[in-house]
Amino acid sequence: MMDLFHAMGEMDTIQIGLWITGVMLVLVVLGLRVAFAAATAGFAGLLWIFSAKFGFEKGFMIALKMAGTIPHSKTASLALSLIPAFILIGFLAYHAGLTKSLFEAAKRWVGWLPGGMGVATVFSTAGFAAVSGASVATSAVFARIAVPEMLKLGYDKRFAAGVVAAGGTLASLIPPSAILVIYAIIVEQDVGALLMAGFLPGAVSAVIYGGLVVILAKTRKNFGPPVTGFTWKQRFESLPGAMPIFAVIAIIMVCIYGGVGTPTEAGALGAFIIFCIAIYNGSRWPELKSSLMETAKLSAMIFAIIWGVLIYVRFLGFADLPSAFSDWIVSLDHSPMLTLLMILCAYAVLGMFMDAIGMLLLTLPIVFPAVMALNGGVGVTAAESAFGVSDVGCAIWFGIIVVKMAELCLITPPIGLNCFVVAGVRPECSVQDVFRGCIPFFVADVITIAVLIMMPGIVLWLPGLMGFA
Amino acid sequence: MSAATVLEDDSLLSRSDRLFFRLESLLNLASGLAIFMLVLMATVNILGRWLFSSPISGYVDWVEQAMPFIAILGISYTQRVGGHIRMDIVVGQLKGRWLWFTELLTSFAMLLVTLVLIYGSYLHFWRSYSIGDSSLDINLPTWPAKLVVSFSLAVLALRLMLQIWGYVRALRKGGDQPIAVPLIESPRTVAVKEAQAVTGRQDEEVSQ
Repeated sequence: MMDLFHAMGEMDTIQIGLWITGVMLVLVVLGLRVAFAAATAGFAGLLWIFSAKFGFEKGFMIALKMAGTIPHSKTASLALSLIPAFILIGFLAYHAGLTKSLFEAAKRWVGWLPGGMGVATVFSTAGFAAVSGASVATSAVFARIAVPEMLKLGYDKRFAAGVVAAGGTLASLIPPSAILVIYAIIVEQDVGALLMAGFLPGAVSAVIYGGLVVILAKTRKNFGPPVTGFTWKQRFESLPGAMPIFAVIAIIMVCIYGGVGTPTEAGALGAFIIFCIAIYNGSRWPELKSSLMETAKLSAMIFAIIWGVLIYVRFLGFADLPSAFSDWIVSLDHSPMLTLLMILCAYAVLGMFMDAIGMLLLTLPIVFPAVMALNGGVGVTAAESAFGVSDVGCAIWFGIIVVKMAELCLITPPIGLNCFVVAGVRPECSVQDVFRGCIPFFVADVITIAVLIMMPGIVLWLPGLMGFA
Repeated sequence: MSAATVLEDDSLLSRSDRLFFRLESLLNLASGLAIFMLVLMATVNILGRWLFSSPISGYVDWVEQAMPFIAILGISYTQRVGGHIRMDIVVGQLKGRWLWFTELLTSFAMLLVTLVLIYGSYLHFWRSYSIGDSSLDINLPTWPAKLVVSFSLAVLALRLMLQIWGYVRALRKGGDQPIAVPLIESPRTVAVKEAQAVTGRQDEEVSQ
């Protein structure tokens, strides 16, 4: 036993980092909650490093004080207050009765296109994404509304289920997106820049989905008819019901892009508007209480992972593991682009078994510095970089791609939750049906990711106008 | 986010679980109300600044002091309803005593790190309290926001002890119906609950 302690004390910090990271992964696989697996690993790592330096007693107290301050010091932040505000918008939106009017408006405006109901579903999920940052919940809501209408008109049930499951994933990119806020906090980038960066890729994804539906409708027989016969008057009459959503989009864009308010104020104002609409549409204390309970629960979960992972990150700083990993990645013989693609593929595999937020928070502290190093490191200009983007640009661009990648896993087996949600809501569709229905959208997502990788300008244009990237 | 199933019976364990859940629910609601107050305050702040050029005095201090309450008061409630993210694809394959043993082990590890963090965060609070630390702008005392971390983690530690009790009981009894612990559910069940959690009102809309 003494030999073991002696050997542990002799290890260099990188070896300690590798051991502790290995232990953390074992704990995660054993089912320990991700937040606490990271906190356990972080505390154990700090204890190990400081005990080796100062002896167990002093090392324990240093590690204890360091880990003990993080749950408070890292959450007492103005920037993080955006997360509960965004989550609350989403939950209140379910009670505000916006979804049906949004779908009706989309149906009247784009229903005339080939596969019109599918296109309407895509654009109404994209619109709802603007008030709800939650992919799974968006799919659940539209599975109730859109799928029955599509089936009534004779659309293939696999397609109907697939378009709703895939449409839900748009919520992760279109602001307000909680996952982009979390990414920005962890990699220490501007939250507003990340939120703005998600807008165009989200819109591009929606357009690609819509285009795909039109192509499918044109090439397949008996696909399902367009919905025609709406007059311009009827179209304009459908708009007021969907107006709160446009108001929230406008407020967030104006506040963040125009610089007239902070992202937190934008989120809060959006939540307040949706709250007023919910009250106007008949929501009372039971609905508000349910929204607050769900928001508090989701916030506690997200913040626990944030501070848990930040305890681990504090240890990583002492262990120097991220820079060692970056050096190793940069020293590989492959081209930086190939290495980046391999990292993204690893995310695709990991995302099949793990929730997106947990996966990103656990891996980003090590992977993000490596990607920055691949691009040329901190301070690199777009002209000198490997990916053709500056250091800040790379941080934003990688964030959008990796979030899109994580969301892709919501429509892939074995645990693509969006598909299970749609199958759960629509018993007439089996999970296999939904997964099959998602195949064209999976291909479209892969194409979207390829487009975003090849053309970082789509991601970086809006943040560039704000002075970032 | 839906809640995992927690089985109940008339045992002391189950009664303690239900009683404790009421306290946890209250704390979670308090966190929710803090979120709502935060939204109202930010709205008043931005409107006050736009319309009357008079934002709330010390707005940033208030938000920073409120955030730990929002972030951590609901931590035990979330644990009770199985809301903290985990990867259960491996442990979900286990059955009976092997499953309860693994759950016992991970709950115990979680309890240990929670106890460490309670002590560490308490020291953080005590330093702040003893020197009379306050916020930069309007001198709000910072100790309440630090104490709430130790308090909430202490509530979580009690919840974990209850769950450890539940797993020990399940380990002794065997079977697949443990009391007072969140059950591992299939993606389908999780999905159905997720859908129910957000679509109750949509049902009404669709049926109209």
